[in-house]
Amino acid sequence: MSTPESGEPTGFRAYHLPPEVPPGSERELPLAGVAGPEAVLRIPTVSNGAAEELFDELEKAGRALRRRTNRELVGLLGEAGARLLDPKDPLRRQAEAWLPAEAGLSGPMARLLLDRMASDWTAEALERLLAEEFPDPAVLEGFRPGPAPDRVRAAGEAAAFHLGAGNVAGVGATSLVRSLLVRSAVLLKPGRGDVVLPCLLARALAEADPEVGRAVAVVYWPGGSDPPLLRTALRRAGRVVVYGGEATARAVRERLPATRPLVVYGHRVSAGAVGRDALGDEATARGVARRAAEAVAAYDQRGCVSPHQVWVEGGGTVTPERFAELVAQALEALRSELPPGPVEAETAARVQQLRGAAEMGAVGTGATGTGAVGTGAAGTGAAAMNAAGGPTHRVLAPEGSVAWTVILEPGDGIEAGCGARLVRIHPLADLGELPGFLAGAADRLQSVAVEGADSRLEEIAEALAALGVTRVTTFGRQAWPAPWWTHDGQGPLRALVRWTTVERPEG
Amino acid sequence: MARGVDAPLPDDAFGELALAVFRFQARAIAVYGGLVRGRGLDPDDLADWTRIPPVPVRAFRAFDLVAGGPEGCQAVFRTSGTTGGARGGSRRAARGTHHVRDLGLYRASLLPNARAHLNPRGEPLRVVSLIPAPERRPDSSLAFMAGALARAWDERGGVFLADAEWRVSHDAPRRLASMAAEPGPPVLVLGTAFAFVHLLDRMGEEGTPVRLPPLSRVMETGGFKGRSREVSRRELYDGLTAALGVPGSRIVNEYGMTELLSQFWEPVLREGPGAERAGGEGPTGEGPRGQAAPLHDRVLEGPPWVRTRILDPETLEPVDEGGSGLLCHLDLANLWSVSAILTEDLGRHRGSGFQVLGRTPGTEPRGCSLTMEELLEAGGEAGRGEAGRGEGAGGEQARSEAAP
Repeated sequence: MSTPESGEPTGFRAYHLPPEVPPGSERELPLAGVAGPEAVLRIPTVSNGAAEELFDELEKAGRALRRRTNRELVGLLGEAGARLLDPKDPLRRQAEAWLPAEAGLSGPMARLLLDRMASDWTAEALERLLAEEFPDPAVLEGFRPGPAPDRVRAAGEAAAFHLGAGNVAGVGATSLVRSLLVRSAVLLKPGRGDVVLPCLLARALAEADPEVGRAVAVVYWPGGSDPPLLRTALRRAGRVVVYGGEATARAVRERLPATRPLVVYGHRVSAGAVGRDALGDEATARGVARRAAEAVAAYDQRGCVSPHQVWVEGGGTVTPERFAELVAQALEALRSELPPGPVEAETAARVQQLRGAAEMGAVGTGATGTGAVGTGAAGTGAAAMNAAGGPTHRVLAPEGSVAWTVILEPGDGIEAGCGARLVRIHPLADLGELPGFLAGAADRLQSVAVEGADSRLEEIAEALAALGVTRVTTFGRQAWPAPWWTHDGQGPLRALVRWTTVERPEG
Repeated sequence: MARGVDAPLPDDAFGELALAVFRFQARAIAVYGGLVRGRGLDPDDLADWTRIPPVPVRAFRAFDLVAGGPEGCQAVFRTSGTTGGARGGSRRAARGTHHVRDLGLYRASLLPNARAHLNPRGEPLRVVSLIPAPERRPDSSLAFMAGALARAWDERGGVFLADAEWRVSHDAPRRLASMAAEPGPPVLVLGTAFAFVHLLDRMGEEGTPVRLPPLSRVMETGGFKGRSREVSRRELYDGLTAALGVPGSRIVNEYGMTELLSQFWEPVLREGPGAERAGGEGPTGEGPRGQAAPLHDRVLEGPPWVRTRILDPETLEPVDEGGSGLLCHLDLANLWSVSAILTEDLGRHRGSGFQVLGRTPGTEPRGCSLTMEELLEAGGEAGRGEAGRGEGAGGEQARSEAAP
């Protein structure tokens, strides 16, 4: 699985440091669920002294970044991104070799992720990102006209520290790209499951331009530990970006001076809704169901953008129950087109609990069980599915597998996600009820896909925005936000800069 | 049950009873019947008890799973609270609820089993409980058990050193010390692992270890998953030995859940160097090499009226020899509720019993949306009361030594 150059140790080097900074002795961390002695991450032991040196180097590199133009940086980053899109590039091959095991994804899913993520890091995409974020991107290069007669300039701090959550590959690398664009050198501590891409991206940058390469450091250490590098980073980084849950964010906040800029991207889930305007005929509904299933399946549903619940309006030709069947068929198809990665035992355990509990919910409707729904009823030749219960409670799932699950049941609020492509479909009397159901959950919600609302969309979006929802989208776009998306309500680059004004005498 | 835990129940006899109980429960509890019918099963036609559909332990949060409904039940035990969903969304009961129709049945299953494992010679003991008294926590099946044991074995009714919030009394070290100084029967200390950690902390501060009389023993239950303070089992037991003078071979682990009336015990007092036998001999003294079974070799045993299967989490088929999977119990003592229960706990067969496994080794909890669950739940503390009873859903029995 590894493609070691001759003489290089086995395993994946899970770090990138400037050449001046010693990595200390390497430790090996086995990759869970993968056999073989090469299936390890090599991680460094960065001493107190080395940590201080690292931040000296990063600050120096950050100051050097300020002398670079947008064009240069976009060009460099774009080049690195392009390498990850090129199937013949050794970097891309390394990514394809290591990403599945480290991120817990199947080969096809890993390749899809690579293609989608890396296409966000092309020169075109990055140029547009700058333009969307800053009407005058040259503010990142120097002082530019601001509110007359003043001039303004934007830049990140010399050195930043990004703490990744892991689990969705690509988030860490995206974070690096954003940081460099705003001229902050950055230390990224990736989360487990997202170690490979940032390391490879850093390496690509260093190969293209050693000076810019020095502005990026990636070091993995196991969660829950408190190594010297973490302490140094929290003390010296000019800005800290945390991807993570309440406990992590709180712990970091407590260790920072009150005035230190801190950006938190918390754990979130997403949801969807389908109005009757998309349920007028089977073909349209099938298309929506397919895109919803793709949104569910992406990243094996581990992303903050991954939907776990979909509300479906009644009163259309296609009923919520039928829509649930269509989603089930699409998930079954995706099972072979875009197979899920290994499912953790704890997750499978939870899926079994939710399936069984939902099966028991069926009795309330007074309907009796319908037994198994075979390929004939499904009409697609998909594998046999189990269905239990009546029309307002159903569990659809492949026999003997937790590859996906569709549960049809009433629902009036956001519930915690389970993962493993388990999606709840909730019947809805009217789309207008949706904001009420989501009220109070905005701090846990990422994206809400709304389809089939037609003329009602604006009103619903307005109501959702008032609740604090920051992204109303479509199923097709839900899992793959544009680089310039309002990430948790902020522009992704604007969240990382401070503005300086030069005031001139008035008149 | 009257025959006690030493009379094995052969598989065919067990099977017959299990099927009879199943037929009764499928008729008596509507949602269970619905589950069964929804799977295309006819209770009267089923001949193989291993095909009895288990109820997921989480279902106890959503439904009142008791024959005849909750009215007229003698007790209601609850797991500790977790929030099941966001505002506007909580259709599910926050806490797992086990309505117990017949406490006599609970006592009948609990006492002989506990006696065989904690007090094989049936002698009088002085019971010190770091679990609250049942009067303080009537909703805790663990408190009920502590009360039943104290009443059965302690002439003075036992001493309870935890309050309704499961906080161990500041007084506990002093009370233990004075008990050690007083002549009397051996001492049985009952507690959750978490309570013992607090006790040890406090005793560590005060400095003076206690020497409980010979033949004293400790019952420890619950685990540490989700707690901010993790102590390995080895550390805990060593700490207890140092602080109380009870050797590791006389520390007995118990595993149970609110949803099951029966318990699982480690048979350390029945075998090995700590062993005692009904009939009056003292402990057998030195074991094969004078060592207690290493912690990672210890197994949990259920009584004859319980069968535990280990099922593959993806397929729900029984795992191969030595494989790990989901613990699925069939407890005949759950006559009035549901006997077949699928937990969320991972375990594996070992020797004559099974071991509960902690989180799959090599995995860290993965970030992002999956841990939403962990955000919304109160740290996985589910229990028979606070602090320490595996409810089976995200169960408590983290056994750090039992690594596959």
